[in-house]
Amino acid sequence: MNEDAQKALTTHELELRRGTVVFASLVACSRPQYGYSLLTTLTEAGIPTEANTLYPLLRRLEKQGLLTSEWSTEQARPRKYYTVTDSGAEVAAALHSQWLELDSSITKLWKDGTP
Amino acid sequence: MSALTEIYVDNVVRHLPENTRADIAAEITATIDDTVEARLGEDPQPNPEHTAAVEREVLEELGDPAVLSREYSNSPQHFIGPKSYPLFLWTLRWILPIVGLIAVLANVVVTVATTPDVQLGELIGSTVGNTVSALLTAFAVIAIIIGLGDRRADGAALPRMPGQQKGAWTIDDLDRRDVRGRQIRAEAALGLVFILALATIPFIPTSLLYVGHINHGGTFINPDLGTGWLLGYWGFLALLAVVEIIRFVNASTRPTVAIIGGIIDVAMAVFLTIALLTQPVLHPEITSAPNADIQQIIAAAAIWIITIWDQVSTWRTYRAQQSR
Repeated sequence: MNEDAQKALTTHELELRRGTVVFASLVACSRPQYGYSLLTTLTEAGIPTEANTLYPLLRRLEKQGLLTSEWSTEQARPRKYYTVTDSGAEVAAALHSQWLELDSSITKLWKDGTP
Repeated sequence: MSALTEIYVDNVVRHLPENTRADIAAEITATIDDTVEARLGEDPQPNPEHTAAVEREVLEELGDPAVLSREYSNSPQHFIGPKSYPLFLWTLRWILPIVGLIAVLANVVVTVATTPDVQLGELIGSTVGNTVSALLTAFAVIAIIIGLGDRRADGAALPRMPGQQKGAWTIDDLDRRDVRGRQIRAEAALGLVFILALATIPFIPTSLLYVGHINHGGTFINPDLGTGWLLGYWGFLALLAVVEIIRFVNASTRPTVAIIGGIIDVAMAVFLTIALLTQPVLHPEITSAPNADIQQIIAAAAIWIITIWDQVSTWRTYRAQQSR
């Protein structure tokens, strides 16, 4: 693969992954998560995300009513925990269906296009 | 929290709305501390230098605080965004020509009404200057209004433009106007205006420009020029006008019309060249006697340059239309 193709691949991979971060965050927040724990959960699940993208995203999802947040002061360091709302869970379920459909479609397309 | 983290967090939140600053600052601080702690691992007595290095690493990974701040604010980083851009273009297309026309008319009326001895150069100068100012002001006002509206309409649907259909776009909304035909008609209309202006040249007095003193406000054309030459000149212009009228009515550049137009152009250039080289066409008092012949030759050369350019331009337009 030449240098230009490698650059194009990097850009497209980034775009492909960016679209999955919202879905992955909603799924991961089915149990309460604070910023760093969510980052770790996603990375361990094979969806590495940049911190400066994830933290603002959580606030936007909260603003959209898909996540709810609560400060916990029980530990030594106060942490803000995010949990998916009912509405967020519905959106996550819908995104999951879409994901499965896309997976099925792209697999079929790939098989048809592969000699 | 170290002083470095405090400065970093302060840089992130300083441009955010005041009611969100404390919450975001606390969240970022907790996250930075969590990350630093995780990287330091289980070391109960971490080396201060190592801790500082890890902290710097974490902050650098978070990146430019200004960029992070923009991510949090989620406000548009453009003045006129893609949602408002069609409205912006539509408004410019309609408002700027109207403003330009009004500015030209107002300037002409005011200059003619307030200046006792109007000179064409003065009229053109003041009109162009004031019209450019009016157009720039209109452009700025339109951009500011739509730019501000773009921010208010964040997430909401923009008002529909005239002619836009309600609801989702369907094939019925397709703009079916004959753009090419409109362009040909506009060019033909402009051509007619230009021909009319050329037809008036024999009557234009030099007093309309700043050379009126040279021949006491006479015409640019030699008054002793034979009537036959003038009738020939107007005859050629009339033929060119007929070609433009045909183009305007048919809204197409048919090859026959283009060829006839080209032949008339060349014939007129030959006619004018003969006229210029056989007698003084320009008023004798506005041409300097020793260089009169050279001036006539320069005028003839200019006519041929324009004619050849016109032929090339017509041919290229015709080729472009054929290739569609």
